Amino acid sequence: MTTLSGHSDAAPAHLARRPNILRQMWTSRADYLYVLPAIVVMLVVIAYPIYYTIDLSFFKTPPGLQLRDKIFVGTDNYTAILSSEVFWKVTLNTVIWTIASTLIAFVLGFGAALALHRDFAGRAILRAILIIPWVISAVAASYIWKWIYHSDFGVLGAVLVQFGILDRQPNFIDNVNSVLPSLIVVNIWREFPFAMIMLMAGLQTVPEQLLRAAKVDGASTWQRFWHVIFPHLRGVSTVTILLLAVANFNSFIIPWIMTGGGPSNASHIWITHIYELAFGRQRWGVAAAYSVLLFIILMVLGYFYVRALSGNESKESGA
Amino acid sequence: MSNYPLGRALARGAFVSALAISMMSTSVFGQSVDLSKWSPEYVRSIAGTETYNTAEQCGAVTPLDYKGKLSFWYQGVFEGDPDLLRQYYKDFFEAFRTTYPNIELEEQALTYNDLLDKFRTALLGNAGPMVVRLQILGGVEFASKGYLQELSPEDVGWKAEDFWPGAMKSVMWEGKTYGIPTNNETMAFIWNADIFKRAGLDPEKPPATWDEVVEYSKKIHDELGIAGYGLVARKNAGNTPYRFMPQLWAYGGGVFDEADPSPNYGEIRLDSPESIRALQASYDMYVRDQSVPVSALTNQQADNQPLFLAGQVAMMISHPSDYNVMLDLQAKATGADKETAQTVIDNMRYGLVPTGPDGRRAVVFGGSNIHILNPEYVEGGEVDEAAAKAMVCFWTSPEWSLKMAYAGSNPGNLNGFKTEWMKQRLDSIKFLDVTTSMLPYGVPFPTLPETPEIMNIIIPDMLQNALTGAMTVEQAAADAAQKVRDVTDGGGL
Repeated sequence: MTTLSGHSDAAPAHLARRPNILRQMWTSRADYLYVLPAIVVMLVVIAYPIYYTIDLSFFKTPPGLQLRDKIFVGTDNYTAILSSEVFWKVTLNTVIWTIASTLIAFVLGFGAALALHRDFAGRAILRAILIIPWVISAVAASYIWKWIYHSDFGVLGAVLVQFGILDRQPNFIDNVNSVLPSLIVVNIWREFPFAMIMLMAGLQTVPEQLLRAAKVDGASTWQRFWHVIFPHLRGVSTVTILLLAVANFNSFIIPWIMTGGGPSNASHIWITHIYELAFGRQRWGVAAAYSVLLFIILMVLGYFYVRALSGNESKESGA
Repeated sequence: MSNYPLGRALARGAFVSALAISMMSTSVFGQSVDLSKWSPEYVRSIAGTETYNTAEQCGAVTPLDYKGKLSFWYQGVFEGDPDLLRQYYKDFFEAFRTTYPNIELEEQALTYNDLLDKFRTALLGNAGPMVVRLQILGGVEFASKGYLQELSPEDVGWKAEDFWPGAMKSVMWEGKTYGIPTNNETMAFIWNADIFKRAGLDPEKPPATWDEVVEYSKKIHDELGIAGYGLVARKNAGNTPYRFMPQLWAYGGGVFDEADPSPNYGEIRLDSPESIRALQASYDMYVRDQSVPVSALTNQQADNQPLFLAGQVAMMISHPSDYNVMLDLQAKATGADKETAQTVIDNMRYGLVPTGPDGRRAVVFGGSNIHILNPEYVEGGEVDEAAAKAMVCFWTSPEWSLKMAYAGSNPGNLNGFKTEWMKQRLDSIKFLDVTTSMLPYGVPFPTLPETPEIMNIIIPDMLQNALTGAMTVEQAAADAAQKVRDVTDGGGL
């Protein structure tokens, strides 16, 4: 009986799921109608380009031929990319760029958020000043930094020499070893205010009574941070880190304007290299294959981002 | 130079003659300007001898009351150009609108480094303009792909003989003509006589050879602590090949055989001993002697100009327009900077581009060409042929091809040299004689669809690989040669 009833209970639930979904869709048909235009637009501007890029990645596009005369080469473009020394060099640059920029911007942003969370005279002014790098145009910032770093007449080098820290003008962006760290500094400078704003918002959600209770219980500043504040910021931190990582994977403006990926490919990251392959060298097929690989990586990051968001939502709703 | 052995002198003479013949081709005698007599004196003698009526001449191609619509993209002025040129561009479009009041013109100016990228992208979406004015190395790429209409000078009322034969080569693909040269120029060697004097060099004697450029650069740096030669090695920038190729050709090297009288681009010469020697000269200046700006790897010529004006760079290769640029920059300077700039301007000298060890002298035959697109690649799918020809005729006319090249280049239409404005120009543009004297030494870039990639990416990459120590000079040359091989075979990454 139990078996029978158990069996009979399970089967209808499983079978009934589909009709339920269809019934629910039918019931909410007006909702689907409302979002239909957005879905159509997304199909046109997102799905079709993705399909086209994947399709193009299997073709060769010599400079003397139009794109419509492209030659099918199967997976040759993927093989060419994965067996190219430049690709692995650029990949290493991209990993260093993304991890260093993301983590350091996050840590600096976190520090700034904690500092600005306290009430002190001039806090509003300081907060406004710290947001400036994030607000100004990345193009303008890149040109300014290019001159700050200028290897012959840069302000930064001149200051370092003036104060006796260095005896000659340092070479920031015309050197294969120092160019990437130098660009990462600019990127961090641009991005840390974003982390700061996100975490300042997160700090507002930490319950004051919990902090007070911890204080009454004799918890030190560090203990209050580690056991009360930090757990509350886990969700917003995850989202911030993921957003920064995706943005950094997709970075273009700073390296392109400041160095064009040079010298000697030392500051090329995936996006700048893809751009050069496509628009500078008309290797549309190779650039498409490259983009597909980048797309897969970003999809993985996107999956974790959505999961982190859903996790936060379920925690907030108490589910 | 007088110490050169006879064989070397003969070789030098033969090379220069071959180059001149290559530039002038067999149509010398049909030329409206006699290129076989080309010299500063000859240019002066023909200036101001003819008058032209542009409206009348172009009115014969497209009636002046024609009603139509035209979209036009062109390589316009950029930060390195003098203000004088900006004014001529404004005047040109005003004059066109006055002459053809019923043609609705939508023009768009793009910088040298952006134009190719944007044009390629637009063509992929069949959203190109009806008419485009491209840099000299761009036309063949688009002609070979079928984007451009056949267009010859005769289609707009001129004769092919009215243009430099070398320039006409740059608009030819598989025996057909796809455009008309608007302007052609060759650069010259510029130096600061005051710096030469302070460094113990003869202020009125520029280096005769590229080996001497290396020597002078080192001496200037050692004596004064400033950069000797204004090397430019930025990637994705037209300035780099324009300054390195003359050096490469002078040493006897090349990407292919483009500097030979009848090139067929069959042999890749980037890794030849001569090419390696040219690259070694740049290496010696940047790495061994550290006598050029450290920022050369990220610099364009526009970055070198203020350095030259500030007295921090002693020598560079550039256009006659750089003198006007210096005047513009000096006018904007204040205080002590203004005084320094004036000293530099007073001591600015122009000379012929140095030769290689065997007396070869070469320079890039630069310029721009104007083209009409095939309708299927144009936004809207139609080309207003009459309006397009009106624009092409106007820009390539003796009057406007001269005026639009007033400070920075030379008229594509050789009849421009005969106009009254050429006479004015010779009186007002300092050092013009030197740059017109360089024209017969001009070598056109290879007329291949792959040339933009070779010149804008592979050549700067080769320089950067050698100068940063990422590769040895030999490895960098071999790597670049392999890349050229790959790109011409349609492969490589």
